[in-house]
Amino acid sequence: MWNLIKLMFLFILATVVHWAFASVFSYWGLSVNMILAFAIAFCAVLKPGFGYPAAFICGLFLDFFGAKLFGNNAFTFTVAACVVYTLSDRFDFDAVPPQMVTVFVLTFLVGALNSLLFLWFASTDMWPGFWSLAGGSLVTAVFSPVVFGLVRLLMGGGTFSRQG
Amino acid sequence: MLPRKKSSKKQADPAVRQRLLLPVSFLLLSFLLMILPLEGFVSSVKAVLAYVFIPQVRLAHGTAKYAEDVSQTVRELLETHRENRALKQEIEMTKLLASQAEAILDENGRLTEILQLKPAKRWTGVWAKVAYREPTQWNTVIIDKGSRDGIRERSAVISMEAGKEGLAGVVVEVTENTAKVLLVRDEDFSAAVYLERGQEEGLLVGNGLRPVRIKYIPLLTKVEKGDKVFTASTSSIFPAGILVGEVSGVREDESFQTALTVNVEPQVHSSSVKEVFVILGDGGDK
Repeated sequence: MWNLIKLMFLFILATVVHWAFASVFSYWGLSVNMILAFAIAFCAVLKPGFGYPAAFICGLFLDFFGAKLFGNNAFTFTVAACVVYTLSDRFDFDAVPPQMVTVFVLTFLVGALNSLLFLWFASTDMWPGFWSLAGGSLVTAVFSPVVFGLVRLLMGGGTFSRQG
Repeated sequence: MLPRKKSSKKQADPAVRQRLLLPVSFLLLSFLLMILPLEGFVSSVKAVLAYVFIPQVRLAHGTAKYAEDVSQTVRELLETHRENRALKQEIEMTKLLASQAEAILDENGRLTEILQLKPAKRWTGVWAKVAYREPTQWNTVIIDKGSRDGIRERSAVISMEAGKEGLAGVVVEVTENTAKVLLVRDEDFSAAVYLERGQEEGLLVGNGLRPVRIKYIPLLTKVEKGDKVFTASTSSIFPAGILVGEVSGVREDESFQTALTVNVEPQVHSSSVKEVFVILGDGGDK
């Protein structure tokens, strides 16, 4: 129960951080995706039974605030979770460089995949631009070690954790 | 060997299936969400979520605003630090000038004594802030010092503008804690002044919204735009030598004139008066 409360707290924090970063960095035209960094951190720390739903809910949450298409973020976040769980056997997510590289690549891929889904299902071009996406991915990656540290601090070692 | 291999494969299959079950089901669910017509349901949930997450949105925007303010505050702090350093240097220079001025004053005092001249008195007074301005009487202000601070009626008032002191007005009413100052532009204001170029004296009078004028300047006086105007020693209220302003033009529209009327741009503008120095004890003593 306590772990669930902590997970909910992290989810609420993720939404606040996501909106705050989005407001600040949209000024420079960067598509920052901090909630994805949280979702990746959840998958890196939590067991698949909790990581997949957490990533799916994070994506679904963004979908409720999106337009024209529903479910695209849930889909891309689940794909990102699959990638993280596949990589977790080979990557040491306790170290900062793998965290940053994974978040950078996945933020870019999720952005690109989202654009493709929009094009496919909604016939709408939602491509934010290469530099906007790359810059946003870079900013997300730079801040991701803090997110990983926070998630590990609150969720690491508990019953939801892979180490628990 | 073969049966053992077969059994390990049989054991592995459920584990793999279990591992794939979650991601595949979530991918399938999200795919269904994308293709199913859920506009009505999504709109309803969106409306509910919008209410539920208002505090978070506000918090996020507040955080973002705070972050923006932090950079602004840091910039302001750095600017203040730079200004502080410049002001400290300026204070040091002012102290140096003050000590030089003190030496010059001493020398002046000695020479005045030797030449048996009437010594000039140094201005003493109080600084006051403009506390109130009557909207219908823009050329009068109420200051936050009064008789308790030694201010009397007909005390001269000066103010600083663009780093220079200039005549601001005269005290016309005094209460215990406030005083009313009639500014130079007011139609009821008048003062004896002289032009710096030829030392000719005239009477400065306010003229409301129109330019301030000096009357009774001798007819053949050479006056040019930009000539400085100071309070004259013949004034019964103002100490001599206070800068009043600059000549902005000579009125030439009066027929059969026996004296010149000169327009003056005051050094201190009515609208910019914020702090004033009320001269005490030296009014009329030159």
